[in-house]
Amino acid sequence: MNRRTKKIVYGALIAAVYAVVTVALAPISYGQIQVRVAEALTIMPFFSSYSIFGLFVGCIIANMIGGNGIFDVVFGSLATLISAVITYYIGKSNLRYKRYLAPLPPVIINAVIIGIELNVVFNLPLVASMLWVGLGEMIACYVLGLPLLLYIDKNEKIKEMIR
Amino acid sequence: MLKNITIGQYIPGDTFIHRLDPRVKIILSIIFIISLFIITKFSGYVFILLFILGSICISKIPLGYIFKGLKPILVILILTVGLNIFFTPGGILLASIGPLKITSNGVRLALFMGLRLIFLIVGTSLLTLTTSPIALTDGIESLLNPFRRIGMPAHELAMMMTIALRFIPTLLEETDKIMKAQIARGADFESGNLMKRAKNLIPLLVPLFISAFRRADELAVAMEARCYRGGINRTKLKQLKVTTIDYIAILVTSILVIILIWNRFWPW
Repeated sequence: MNRRTKKIVYGALIAAVYAVVTVALAPISYGQIQVRVAEALTIMPFFSSYSIFGLFVGCIIANMIGGNGIFDVVFGSLATLISAVITYYIGKSNLRYKRYLAPLPPVIINAVIIGIELNVVFNLPLVASMLWVGLGEMIACYVLGLPLLLYIDKNEKIKEMIR
Repeated sequence: MLKNITIGQYIPGDTFIHRLDPRVKIILSIIFIISLFIITKFSGYVFILLFILGSICISKIPLGYIFKGLKPILVILILTVGLNIFFTPGGILLASIGPLKITSNGVRLALFMGLRLIFLIVGTSLLTLTTSPIALTDGIESLLNPFRRIGMPAHELAMMMTIALRFIPTLLEETDKIMKAQIARGADFESGNLMKRAKNLIPLLVPLFISAFRRADELAVAMEARCYRGGINRTKLKQLKVTTIDYIAILVTSILVIILIWNRFWPW
């Protein structure tokens, strides 16, 4: 099968899953104390490059449906894009504990960028919002994302399918 | 429960504004946003108000939808107005509450900033209200096309967006089904602390994930069978074309910008 078609379609479906999970669990997906479960998907770039764009597009759509208007669309999606790229390079690197490092970029980048955004736009206290967002991301990425990553990593067949 | 979600706020229609080329609409919206920052006096807002009211009248969008777009930014609006009222020095002292002083300059600046924010949101929501997400994606793709040379995957991103938008309703329905099926099997999505609730979502995420990938596989095969080859040499069913109405819109917006620049030199 043509790699390019596969990449576009798989990326699109990752975007759709991200948006759907975010919207379906809307009460806990937006705001200062948020556990955006869909962020568990940010481990996908560990295996494949197309998911970087998939997550980016998914985040744009999710923030367009809910969220705080234009600010979230721009900054939230940018944060996701940056962390996806970093996770991708972690996946390609030869670090020894890279599996455990992969869910870390979204935690840190989102905590910083969304924390600043909440601080500037809503005047919420900076450090507190950073910590809350970071904590929520931590739950999504380590409680849900890491097991998902380890499971995919063990299963050669799934790995081949999503590559 | 998940049935009532709409993506974008597009209201179908066949008015002058609906028929504009999406590329032209996007660029004019950007020009409109920039022109808001040209204004230095209240008299400038009169022209913006006329422009916006005219556009709303032509597009036949019910006013209720316009105000709905303002709701999410109400907090920001109150905050900017509040901050500006209380923390702008100078002018005549109007009132004071403890250490907080309200001055005439403060009120002026607060009103000015508040109006700018309102017009910003109304102007941009007019774009999304009159352009379907698909047309918007098409427009963005064609605007990003020149950047292909420096490695911007414009067509791929637009294609992803279109496919994702098309599959969101399908997957939402699927999520609903999976949720109900798992609740019937005793899954608990609603109690426990955050940690536990997140963990409880695994029985929802795994089937959703697998079903999404199955659909992706089928779609990829279908596209392949129809010889999809991506952006190069690809023709479109609906060609974007700049027509007379687009030139009229560009002309009207240019007049607005010229008046606003001229307005900077007015004494009031």
